[in-house]
Amino acid sequence: MSLPATTRFNLFVQREVGRLLSVVWIPASAFVLSVIMRYRVQDVRELRRRFRTLVRTTDKPILICPNHLTMADSALVTWALGGSWWYLFHYRWFPWNLPEYHNFASVWASRMAAWVTKCIPIVRGGERGQVSSVLKRIQHVVSRGDTAIIFAEGGRSRTGRIQVESPAHGMGRLVNSIPDCHALCVYLRGDRQDRWSTIPKRGDSFYVDFEVFRPESENSGMRRSRDFAEQITDRLVQLEEKYFARRATV
Amino acid sequence: MDQSEIRAKIVEIIGIYAKDKDALEAATDETNILQDLKVNSARLVDVILDFEDAFDIEVEDEDADNVNTIGDAVSLITAKI
Repeated sequence: MSLPATTRFNLFVQREVGRLLSVVWIPASAFVLSVIMRYRVQDVRELRRRFRTLVRTTDKPILICPNHLTMADSALVTWALGGSWWYLFHYRWFPWNLPEYHNFASVWASRMAAWVTKCIPIVRGGERGQVSSVLKRIQHVVSRGDTAIIFAEGGRSRTGRIQVESPAHGMGRLVNSIPDCHALCVYLRGDRQDRWSTIPKRGDSFYVDFEVFRPESENSGMRRSRDFAEQITDRLVQLEEKYFARRATV
Repeated sequence: MDQSEIRAKIVEIIGIYAKDKDALEAATDETNILQDLKVNSARLVDVILDFEDAFDIEVEDEDADNVNTIGDAVSLITAKI
């Protein structure tokens, strides 16, 4: 999957402008999460130590694949794993994100904010060519050393648990199309998050755990991508079971 | 297998996933699988994997990007058989 030169250039400009401005927007985002919303991440030092060890010791492309319960999940996962200042010096690990276009496109300022913050909008269930174009851009940036977040489920889980019946095919397709790409499965859940919602409750405390692995399949083509998506989802289910087992003992 | 047989088999497979059964009965080559037949976009992958099984072919993700209508599906499968 090769990208036109103009698209590659546009991505380069978007990344570098975002990086120049990151000294403002990354700490500001962290301020909103930690001070205004009063969110807390459990065992955050150990979590970030594990994440930083991972990124220091790997030379593999990484795709971040979290579960999905709220519209703040990508921001929360990013903040939980890396904090804020760390990203200023490790900007490639601030993940590209694929927000649903219709969630923010009506306001000019939010479109601009999304552009600066490494977002590539996608219309879920949209025209196949447009979806493919977005995936190609993500493939390009991850292949070149950045990372990206793509949710393992097609949307926020309506049951409150991982929806194994609807793994995001685009996630498997990306891991399949990027040589030696590993999936970083992240399970995030607020203690007061019983079901899906728009944003977590103010003051919530988040459990976060992750595992990284390389999916395997003897199939090829779309079936291989499907196998990858299912394996990533299965790994998230294991992380979820670990969470609920832990919660039952607390 | 001629094109009419391929088309009939495609319609039969899509029928499993189509929410608009009336539109399916009146389907032509121009009928859009997602918009006209109301197939959930997440289920389009299942549709194409069912094509693989039914026609003993292998489809790449990039091939599937071009499948928007029943006619597109017929063209894809005809080229792969």
